[in-house]
Amino acid sequence: MHRLWNRIDFAFSSAWQNFWRNAAVSVASVLIVWVVLLALGSLLLVLHSLDQIVALEKTKASAISVYLADTTPLSSAMDFKLHLENDPRVTDVTYVSKDQAMARFRQLPALDPSVIDTLGTNPLPASLDVTVRDIRDLAAIDQEVRTSPLVDKSPATNYEPNVIDKIILLARVAGIAGLVLIIGLTGLSVFIIMLTIRTAIYLRRKEIEVMKLVGATDWFVRWPFIVEGLIVGVVGAAVAVLIVGFGYRPAVVNLQSVLIFIPLAFDPAYLRVVLAAMLVFGLLLGSVGSYLGVRRFLKQ
Amino acid sequence: MAAVSEAGPQIHLEHIEKTYPNGTVALRDVTLEIPKQDFVFLVGPSGAGKSTLVRLLIREEKATSGTIRVEGQDLSQLKRRHLPYLRRKIGMVFQDFKLLPNLTVFQNVAFALRVTEGALRHLKPKVEEVISIVGLEGKETKFPDQLSGGEQQRVAIARALVHDPRIFLADEPTGNLDPATSWEIIQLLLQINARGTTVMMATHNREIVDVMRRRVVAIEGGQIVRDEDAGGYHAPALESH
Repeated sequence: MHRLWNRIDFAFSSAWQNFWRNAAVSVASVLIVWVVLLALGSLLLVLHSLDQIVALEKTKASAISVYLADTTPLSSAMDFKLHLENDPRVTDVTYVSKDQAMARFRQLPALDPSVIDTLGTNPLPASLDVTVRDIRDLAAIDQEVRTSPLVDKSPATNYEPNVIDKIILLARVAGIAGLVLIIGLTGLSVFIIMLTIRTAIYLRRKEIEVMKLVGATDWFVRWPFIVEGLIVGVVGAAVAVLIVGFGYRPAVVNLQSVLIFIPLAFDPAYLRVVLAAMLVFGLLLGSVGSYLGVRRFLKQ
Repeated sequence: MAAVSEAGPQIHLEHIEKTYPNGTVALRDVTLEIPKQDFVFLVGPSGAGKSTLVRLLIREEKATSGTIRVEGQDLSQLKRRHLPYLRRKIGMVFQDFKLLPNLTVFQNVAFALRVTEGALRHLKPKVEEVISIVGLEGKETKFPDQLSGGEQQRVAIARALVHDPRIFLADEPTGNLDPATSWEIIQLLLQINARGTTVMMATHNREIVDVMRRRVVAIEGGQIVRDEDAGGYHAPALESH
């Protein structure tokens, strides 16, 4: 127990001294770790947001809203609804009145209700929300309803065939670009940590000589440098974790107010996973960098 | 001279050859036995192979061929991870002391225990014990640059003693010291030898070797040219020169 404590105490106090003895190099390696982890965390959250959008678009994919002209009487709308319900391709039709549409609209996140109140009149159309059995029939139904005089012309429906494909493509491009960036930065940061450790070893070369002379084990000599690398990783990760942890919610809220119709949500459970991943990755960078820094030196 | 122990010699070199990677032949066909509690001077001109021999014993270098046994252990078979435990059996001092300038006397000595994972709890009495053996009581809080050369070498000796080594190697320990101080260091080595530790000292110091009349192993050109009990720095035939 005492031996273990001595080992831990020695490793940490030496590592801490090393860190400050070549502070400039240490800070540089903390900064690079910070940049890598910030990029990693941001990328994971952006991809997750795109996933959220895709998932939501997919649930909407088997339905379209057919917007009704304000001039359409309710009886005609009901006839039209019945007509659609009798279509074998359709499973369900729901009528949404102008008031209901407004009520839904008010529930959109990040929308200031007082702004809506200043409009005075209700600009939203009533609609028939049509759910189909097979997504492939959507295009045909979309074409048919557009010819009806009951239907509003601007726009007639909310049918957008390629939106999911576009988002998936965007996610893929963002993912690959981010991955390439992170791989590059990872290599760079491991290299810089390695240099930091080499510098620390150089500054301690006399002590290391004495340690070997009096019979310290290789691992006893190595630990302070590994711990120094871990400190670099943890400090860099901690700063990045704080920024991402506190920045995610405001970023989502701001985006929601700009992109009102894109369903973006703050996901605290996923955020925790991302933060944990960043911390683990920071530790990994630190330990790999310092292991490489220490490896060649001790081989004599 | 000390008796050879029943378990065989403590240090045993058989037909040792050492060629460095650059082609320099440092030792050729060196065979040497050193029994427990022996006191041996290793003499010879610079570059004769004395330091190489010392480095082989703590396995800082590996022999090119031949066998070295230290306390029965074949050093060529010694795994790297067992090397530290060999070093703890062997106390070692050098001409340049190798003290850490930013540590006090106490800390320099304690350092050797600390880095070999000695429990901190037991550290203080042991450090105090070896500091008193080398006669540096009262100087524990001094830094190396506040000490004389002789005192610095005493610190190095104290550090080499904390593991209660069975073998004590001194490579030119008096090389940087004046004659009076050199004698004090020799007295200390004799005292360590009297406590049961085998001492091997590589030296150029002719006066000390001649006065002491201990075992002398002379190396020249990488070969042992003379090995005699109660010898002098030079072979008897040459002493008239």
